[in-house]
Amino acid sequence: MDDIVIDARWLEPPEPLERVLATLARRRRDQRVRLLLHREPYPLYDLLRQMGLAYDTQPSPDGTYVILIHPVDDRVS
Amino acid sequence: MTRPGLSFEQAPAFGLPLRFFLTAPSFLLLAALAAIPTADAWTASRWSPAALALTHLLTLGFLGQAMLGAMLQMLPVVIGSPVPRPRLTAVLGHIGLATGTLLLAAGLGWSHTTLLRTAMLCLAVGWLPFLAATAVSLARARTASTATLHPMRQAWFALLVTLALGFGLGGTLAGLWPAGPLQALTGLHAAWGLLGWVLMLVMGVAYQVVPMLQLTPVYPAPAVTWLTWTLLGGLGVLSFSTLTAKPDTGLMQAVVWLPVMAALAVFAGVTLWLQHRRRRKLADATLDFWRLAMLCLLTLTALPALAAVLPPVTRAPLETSAGLLFLLGFAVSVVNGMLYKIVPFLAWFHLQTQTGAKAGSIPNMKQFMPDSLARRHLWLHTVAVLLLLPAPWLPPDYAVAGLLPLAASAILLWLNLFGCMRLFRRHGGRLR
Repeated sequence: MDDIVIDARWLEPPEPLERVLATLARRRRDQRVRLLLHREPYPLYDLLRQMGLAYDTQPSPDGTYVILIHPVDDRVS
Repeated sequence: MTRPGLSFEQAPAFGLPLRFFLTAPSFLLLAALAAIPTADAWTASRWSPAALALTHLLTLGFLGQAMLGAMLQMLPVVIGSPVPRPRLTAVLGHIGLATGTLLLAAGLGWSHTTLLRTAMLCLAVGWLPFLAATAVSLARARTASTATLHPMRQAWFALLVTLALGFGLGGTLAGLWPAGPLQALTGLHAAWGLLGWVLMLVMGVAYQVVPMLQLTPVYPAPAVTWLTWTLLGGLGVLSFSTLTAKPDTGLMQAVVWLPVMAALAVFAGVTLWLQHRRRRKLADATLDFWRLAMLCLLTLTALPALAAVLPPVTRAPLETSAGLLFLLGFAVSVVNGMLYKIVPFLAWFHLQTQTGAKAGSIPNMKQFMPDSLARRHLWLHTVAVLLLLPAPWLPPDYAVAGLLPLAASAILLWLNLFGCMRLFRRHGGRLR
């Protein structure tokens, strides 16, 4: 199943957060969201926990953070 | 790598930082109004009781309230480490700082020992829990980025030194213990407070928020690493030479003030350069408040050279102008700019988390704080700063020309922040 990719790098806050929330609202329940951001989004983590979602964050050498948002029971690959 | 999310119970409610942000403008207003009848004293000397009282209304009252509230909010968000017992810390900090500042200003202005003693007690109630709670937060910080963490830890240390010196001086003025070298220690207290706590905290915050909010490239690594260490080193040497009563030699000037002024100039210059290279060239009041602040900081670095060529009689007005430049031109401008980002973001974020609203169903940040309202404040504040800078050089009656727009700017700031809170509550937001 394809992940939904959101490239929110260099968007003015809170636009990245708004885009993620809009995408999460319309995705299929088992679909994952891959967010690319130029910084680590601590406030988003609060919201994901509240929504019962899990996330994995990987910093890239170019400074981009890749945040994979997925259902709690989903295995990360 | 999976990072644990912040505990929602630990993140402060909107009402906690907001109480500080809504209180801060009232101290700016009070300072502006109190400065009108005392203009002959504070324009003549920064050592006058009126100048000391007004300085503390600005530093403890306006800047202290705003910075304390911002730190309680930003530590969890920026360095990923919540402040323990946020409600207790905020309530004690807010009440202790507000009452302590009023009493201290009155005690300093009227040289009243009972007022000074009560002020010290209130300020201790306000600052000590804050120092303890933020120490825990800074020690536990788990952020991968040290760019902000190190300056914040350094600023915390500078705050500790500032408060220790402040309480020492306050105790002397209140007759609690014998006098030391008052003027030298007051200079140290001011240096640690302004160049240490205020400037290093602004630097640490800038390294994160200027690239984040103004979409600029990141600060160059050498600047991030060395600027705050340079300030800390300068303050350390200054303290050593003061406490060992070394004369104020040319060598001391070179060792302390040249590197410190160079650090100020580099920070201001790099920030302006980064802002010039920002990715989105949209007009933004926060950006312009920061630009004004950086221009004032750059101007400040030129004053020592000016002092060297001007006759000694100009030293007193130059010192007062330098104080105005740093406090109103730099520090108040930065805080204003930050408030116009922090408060609408928190309103939007808390409303989102409380209501779980779908995108578009709640006001966005620009609706919480229209740029036109912030810009009106920016102009009023800029006019006030420009009119007040020459006040120490002119007849005292002139000062009112800058103090009235300053008072109006404080009222406007409060109205803008209050309007944001009212919109938040109208959409069902809860402050607790």
